[in-house]
Amino acid sequence: MSEAVFRETTAQPRTRSVQLSHLSLELGHLYMEDFEAGPERLRAHFAEVRLWVEAVRASAARRTGGKRPRISTCFLIDDYFTRFSTPAELLPLVLEEAEKAGLAIDYLARESGCAVADRIEIAESVAHRLVESPPPGSNGSRPPVGQTGWLANGRRTPTTERAALGEVRGWQPPEETAARNHSVFMDVELWSEQDGRRLWSCPFLAAVWQLARLGLLRHLGEPVLVPRPWDGAEFPHDWDRLPPLLQLDPRAAAFSAYRTCTLLPNRFLAVEDAVRLILDQTQVDAEALRQVAARSKGEGLEVPDAVAQRATYIFYEDPATGPVSGGR
Amino acid sequence: MLIFAASDKGGTGRSVTSANLAYHRALAGDDVCYLDFDFGSPTASAVFDVADARLALEGGGLHSYLGGQVVEPERIDVWAVTEHQVLRDPPPGCGRLVLMPGDVGGGEFATTGDHVRLCADLLMKLSYEFDLVFVDLSAGRSYAVDMVLEATARPEMSQVTARWLVFHRWTRQHVAAAASLVLGERGIVAAGVDRGHDEEELRGAIRFVRAAVPDPESPLWSQVSPTQSAWLRKADADLKQLASAHGIGYSQVLGSVPLEPVLQWREQLITDEDVLDSQIANMETWQALSRLAARLTDDKHWEQA
Amino acid sequence: MTRRPGQPARPALVCGEVRTCLLASFQALDGRAAAGLLRLRADEHVRISERPNLYALSPETLTGVDCRLPTADGSKVRAVGTVAARAALTEGRLLQATAWFSAPAAGPDTRRPWGHYLVRPGVVEPFGRLPEQATAQGVLRGPGRGELDLGAVAEALLARLLRHPLLDRKVPFKSRRTHLRWVARRVPEGERAELTRFTLAEDGLRTVELRLPEDTPAAAAAGLCEDLALHDWLLTTVVHMLESGRFAAADGPVAVQALRPAVDHLLHLWMPHARVERSLVHLWEALEREPGFTRQWQNLVQRIRDQLAVQAIRLPHQALSTN
Repeated sequence: MSEAVFRETTAQPRTRSVQLSHLSLELGHLYMEDFEAGPERLRAHFAEVRLWVEAVRASAARRTGGKRPRISTCFLIDDYFTRFSTPAELLPLVLEEAEKAGLAIDYLARESGCAVADRIEIAESVAHRLVESPPPGSNGSRPPVGQTGWLANGRRTPTTERAALGEVRGWQPPEETAARNHSVFMDVELWSEQDGRRLWSCPFLAAVWQLARLGLLRHLGEPVLVPRPWDGAEFPHDWDRLPPLLQLDPRAAAFSAYRTCTLLPNRFLAVEDAVRLILDQTQVDAEALRQVAARSKGEGLEVPDAVAQRATYIFYEDPATGPVSGGR
Repeated sequence: MLIFAASDKGGTGRSVTSANLAYHRALAGDDVCYLDFDFGSPTASAVFDVADARLALEGGGLHSYLGGQVVEPERIDVWAVTEHQVLRDPPPGCGRLVLMPGDVGGGEFATTGDHVRLCADLLMKLSYEFDLVFVDLSAGRSYAVDMVLEATARPEMSQVTARWLVFHRWTRQHVAAAASLVLGERGIVAAGVDRGHDEEELRGAIRFVRAAVPDPESPLWSQVSPTQSAWLRKADADLKQLASAHGIGYSQVLGSVPLEPVLQWREQLITDEDVLDSQIANMETWQALSRLAARLTDDKHWEQA
Repeated sequence: MTRRPGQPARPALVCGEVRTCLLASFQALDGRAAAGLLRLRADEHVRISERPNLYALSPETLTGVDCRLPTADGSKVRAVGTVAARAALTEGRLLQATAWFSAPAAGPDTRRPWGHYLVRPGVVEPFGRLPEQATAQGVLRGPGRGELDLGAVAEALLARLLRHPLLDRKVPFKSRRTHLRWVARRVPEGERAELTRFTLAEDGLRTVELRLPEDTPAAAAAGLCEDLALHDWLLTTVVHMLESGRFAAADGPVAVQALRPAVDHLLHLWMPHARVERSLVHLWEALEREPGFTRQWQNLVQRIRDQLAVQAIRLPHQALSTN
């Protein structure tokens, strides 16, 4: 249609591309209890992370064939599930401990930015992009048997409801669609309702976070969760006044990347497994996907087809000395 | 327009009579659809003379649709597939006559929110396409009645006109039972109001059809003795009084269908051939059905008493 | 779309089904309302075009499938992937939902992780070799029990749209849906696209067979078939209006009333290949030659206008103005 004389902008909308690094490296994902435990906990965390960061950088360099890889680092703070302290109080502490450990944090994000950023309901949009993996026998005639607010990796145990004089069936096991011989069935809660308000689950927000880092989120063709520069002034006294994504180092490589690597204490294993389950059933913006594929290919660093395959993790022993808390 | 056919008990000829009404309207040029919501014993295919084997092969009737197993229930173009010789040759100018059968071997089921939503979707969709949609409901206080009451109470259904025919036989027990089904405790009106219907409006949309009524004046009874004849008249008058006492008197009646052996025994559509050529069915029956069919959409018969 | 090297991925077949119906709204929707209706996803644009007529196109949605393909010869071929679907609204009046998929000539013998299929929207991969001819014929014939059902996907989308609170759910006149099933065999790039068959079957079913060069996007084929389906629906509906017992027996105001919806809502919708991709526009010519879609339409329009003219002469003025 490029040679057409007549054009209507509303008829041929465009999708803007984003800058891309080779790797987005997450240095931590901290929750209230981590801060409550004092600066020692942070120190221990960064000391452990530091070791793995070296390994990740070496691995990225191997992929780029010795060329210096473009790596950006990020750090995520939970202000969604619990609010603790203020940015002005907390952030200098985080930056100081990271620096002491020899780590630079390029981008700082708030977890609630994965739900809503700049008045755009990102999580809601991603929820509408879920395409459930069809169990064998799905021929399009059966509406998805989705359980609202949940996502599984297979077929749930059938409910026992039946017609009058219908067949009586005993318990049937759930079944993982991609099972090899035996099932590892998983059912992930995406959100809950609280006082009429939707509370997104931690794995769901973490999946949105992964998509942002992979440069695959768009709203009406425009990138979302775009980093805002930091002028070096004092951090605000209210979490809501802190931009959802802050670029701390003006010279840092681009926030989004072909691949992500996330360093986490091993108590987050189940959460991140759930994140993969969600990513594996999310249909991302086709044009954004094409842009990333073309660019990475142009650099000779082709990304894996499936989005979930682009995210890697390193789980290390929890440095926490106190009792391990359940939630993330 | 939606026409719901309910009955107090089985054996009122509800299915066969409403199927005949659908047939008359299609002959008159309306596009008509007939839904078999008699979930416990889906038999509409027999009335229209459509082979069960055909249904079993296709699968996916109303049970499957409401159960969420198929997106669309099976549709059967009666003119095209019926095995009834006369029906296969519809006169020019007649409308479509489409049957939506239940699943072969389907049973009653307790309805849930999903059933109601799917039911409302289907009724809406059919109302866009057909002039008249007949819904034959399981007898008594059934889940089918419950489901359509709830479906039609949904706000999106408020634009669709729905009318109810309650079939009952002309006996003491049936009169009482029909009145109770509509006006009694947990009756159609009370349940409808519970589900969000306006009481006045719902009551105004319900009419009774007296089925298998022996007409004392009919030639069928001309040979009886004077004593019997007097008794017949007396019984008929008593029943009228009883009906009126139960609040289902004359003003609430859309019409009567005479006692007709062909309807009772054959349970099939009565065609003009049955009346004119083979003369196995009575002209009165044909006329009664025709009158009843016309009254369905004649607002004069649906004004508030 | 990326493919791993060494993977046989020659597209062999595109299959789809279009369902066309009147929008359940007493007034036609304007552009803004059309966009509201078709916003299947908050984060994606509804395409709105105002020339040469008002047209809105929804984003595509996907439905996962893992089932047998419909085949005319009974061969059992399991396939996994996603069926794409979209909805279009023309002049705020005619609503269409299309579901389609492309199938490569061959696929892997096992099911891959779901993410593999999600990055190939609208592609359904067969296990092993695709029986092209049998599948094409199977799709046109319609699915058997448990086989991939494009009509159901399109129907589900229509049902979802018709539940939209924006609609008042009043139809200005009764009309039935039509289903148009289509298959396109892929031919090498550079060859000319062809419409090899258009069949009018019973029960509002139509089938179309195409030959399309490999570089023609599947969505462009869907666009062509939507255009064919729309115009076929117009013919079908107006013919039904003129043929129905109601109209045939009527005279005077009743006849005017029976024809009025056509004038109010349909006559201005005829606009063949308004948005069909250039390389496919010539496919319309075949249908214009035989049977002559536009010729029939003009004939119907003329008939309606003549009828109204005749009635206007006969009727006192007030009868016309009361409608």
